[in-house]
Amino acid sequence: MKGISHFAAGVAVASCFPEAVRQGAAGNPLYFILGGVFGILPDTLDFKFYRFLRKHDMEVIPDPLRPDPKLIAEAVALAVNRARVDGRPVNLKLDTIRLAADQWQSYEVTLDPAKKEVRVRLGPVVDTGGNPVAGKRGGKDKGVSAPLLCDVKVEYTATTKVDILDGPTFRMTPLADRRVLAEFIPWHREWSHSFVTALAPALLCGFLFRDLLAGLIVFGALAAHILADQLGFLGSNLFFPFTRRRKEGLKLVHSDRSAPNLATVWLSCLVIFWNLYRVAPLRPHYNILQFAVFGALLPAAAFLLLRRCLNRLPPRRSETDATTP
Amino acid sequence: VLLAAPDESALFTVLPGQKYLMQGQGYTAVILTTAGGAAALLALLAVGGPLAPAVLPAARRTLQPHMHWMVWCVICFMLLSEWPKEGRLGQGGMAKFRQAWQSLGVGLAAFGLSGLLGFILLYRSPISHAAAFQNLMPAFVGLFAVPSLLVNLASRVNIPRQARACMPGSLTASSILRGTLAGALGGGFAGFVPAVTGGVGGMLAGHATALRDDRSFLVSQGASKLVYYVGGFLLLFVPGLWITRGGGAWLLKSVYAPRMERDYWMALASAAIGGAVALALVSPLTRATIRMLETCGYRRVSWAALALMAVLVAAVTGWAGLAVAAVGTGIGLLPILYGSRRMNCLGVILLPIACNLSGVGGRVAAWMGLL
Repeated sequence: MKGISHFAAGVAVASCFPEAVRQGAAGNPLYFILGGVFGILPDTLDFKFYRFLRKHDMEVIPDPLRPDPKLIAEAVALAVNRARVDGRPVNLKLDTIRLAADQWQSYEVTLDPAKKEVRVRLGPVVDTGGNPVAGKRGGKDKGVSAPLLCDVKVEYTATTKVDILDGPTFRMTPLADRRVLAEFIPWHREWSHSFVTALAPALLCGFLFRDLLAGLIVFGALAAHILADQLGFLGSNLFFPFTRRRKEGLKLVHSDRSAPNLATVWLSCLVIFWNLYRVAPLRPHYNILQFAVFGALLPAAAFLLLRRCLNRLPPRRSETDATTP
Repeated sequence: VLLAAPDESALFTVLPGQKYLMQGQGYTAVILTTAGGAAALLALLAVGGPLAPAVLPAARRTLQPHMHWMVWCVICFMLLSEWPKEGRLGQGGMAKFRQAWQSLGVGLAAFGLSGLLGFILLYRSPISHAAAFQNLMPAFVGLFAVPSLLVNLASRVNIPRQARACMPGSLTASSILRGTLAGALGGGFAGFVPAVTGGVGGMLAGHATALRDDRSFLVSQGASKLVYYVGGFLLLFVPGLWITRGGGAWLLKSVYAPRMERDYWMALASAAIGGAVALALVSPLTRATIRMLETCGYRRVSWAALALMAVLVAAVTGWAGLAVAAVGTGIGLLPILYGSRRMNCLGVILLPIACNLSGVGGRVAAWMGLL
């Protein structure tokens, strides 16, 4: 999920405590700030701190003037093979290819367990928003491959797109069954996304503010983040330090798609509003059923109808040209 | 769009409008923004208009005591959601961490400094009380308008020849609908919550709807600004609500306070007529501006805009206002030079107002020695 979804969910968790709502109405913003901040905190820790401190064993920096997919494929294969031969994990960093202030040469890395090979293919030139740059078409080649000496187990998706800002990291870990596990961005959703480690900030906040409610809200916001992420593909290491690997997600949603993010934010806002509404010293006009119909069902129906109409529209020629490599 | 060309040093902060401008498609960018505004106006009149009297008074009664923490939450999210743009290459460690945090640190500094400026202007303003109504104007000019013009002048940037017609295929139903949805949500939120501007609302909605493509972004900006300004103004007329948001509403309220349902429908009709006139004017005015830019030269127009702003600030707020604008410019240049979000400069209103809404503004001002 995107940051705003986690933030909104954290605030929604805080609003579920009537005392937090009463304190909020009396001018104390603490509980809602704690909910929002700790709702987004696990990703903040991973993407703004831990990522930059993690060491890697190999780094692939493609030449922006003449990016060589063969070299990239061989480097990935070397990381897998070295992990198997040396019997220890190898951390591999793939860098992005920046061409200009707002232009990036994208490429795709595919780990193919069936063919025991790595394939790399140059994609279109994209801007920082990830959109293909007009007039700059991607390569039409099938890509180049490099052989693997052992079987590989893919943890996330077989194909990884490398395009903007910071490139991904893989940890190639040798397994007992002589395969190598390719772990995608191993620094993410590790210790920061664990129910066990979530207890630490909850206890700390409870102690600092001498307030059990603050601790409960912090833990609730962190737990909401972890549970929401578990709906996706990558999963989290739910009980670190007692478990060593991330538990695979439920694969229900893609974290960067608009519909699940909008739905999460919308639902969080509805929960917040309802919680404020029922504690407010006013005579309620609406019951929860009316609220659910007017606040959730009707907007959801309108949204789905709109999406259906949009999906029926034929793609414009210029769009298909730009995105097809 | 037309007066904010990026220079070569611009890091990752080339906005879609600037991209279009540098591709000779500034006109298209303006039309996309206008399409967002027009679609949002339709939504405002057809959906928001009839629903507002039924929904907004109850919503306001519920949310009013909680506005302060909403503003705090917006501040927290704004600061936490900025993405590190450097620190791509090299081995992990403190050096890479410092490199990555340079732009984030400058963004936080810009927020803090602009917040400090906001406190000074609110509690011990150097601007004469005669111009108190325009107390924040010099700061806004310095923080947001002057830095772009200075960069234009310093970098000697020139824009390519601009097309006079919309790029074929740029106006798609999908981008208009997506952008309008995001922009209307963001603008509506910003119009309702004090101190949150249309830009911040647009940013929040852009995150919530995972908006990525440039066309939808431009449409959403137009929609967000329209709902923020027009919708905010119309809140003054909503029966049972009658709240004042924005300079226009405050000016009107000093001469006329609407209290009848008829006023609301008149205001909606006026918005429809005004919107239609504005729509008709956009195309010829954009073409005229492009012609002026090409005839006079981009640098000369930037100089003229800078001079006009200085004259306006001096005329309205005097030398003290010019000094405030100069301080604001110094702060406003920070995010441009270090590639962080310019929105952080909104600390000038967000921080003092959030503190005041929580009832601690006076204590903070006293602690800063301003009282």
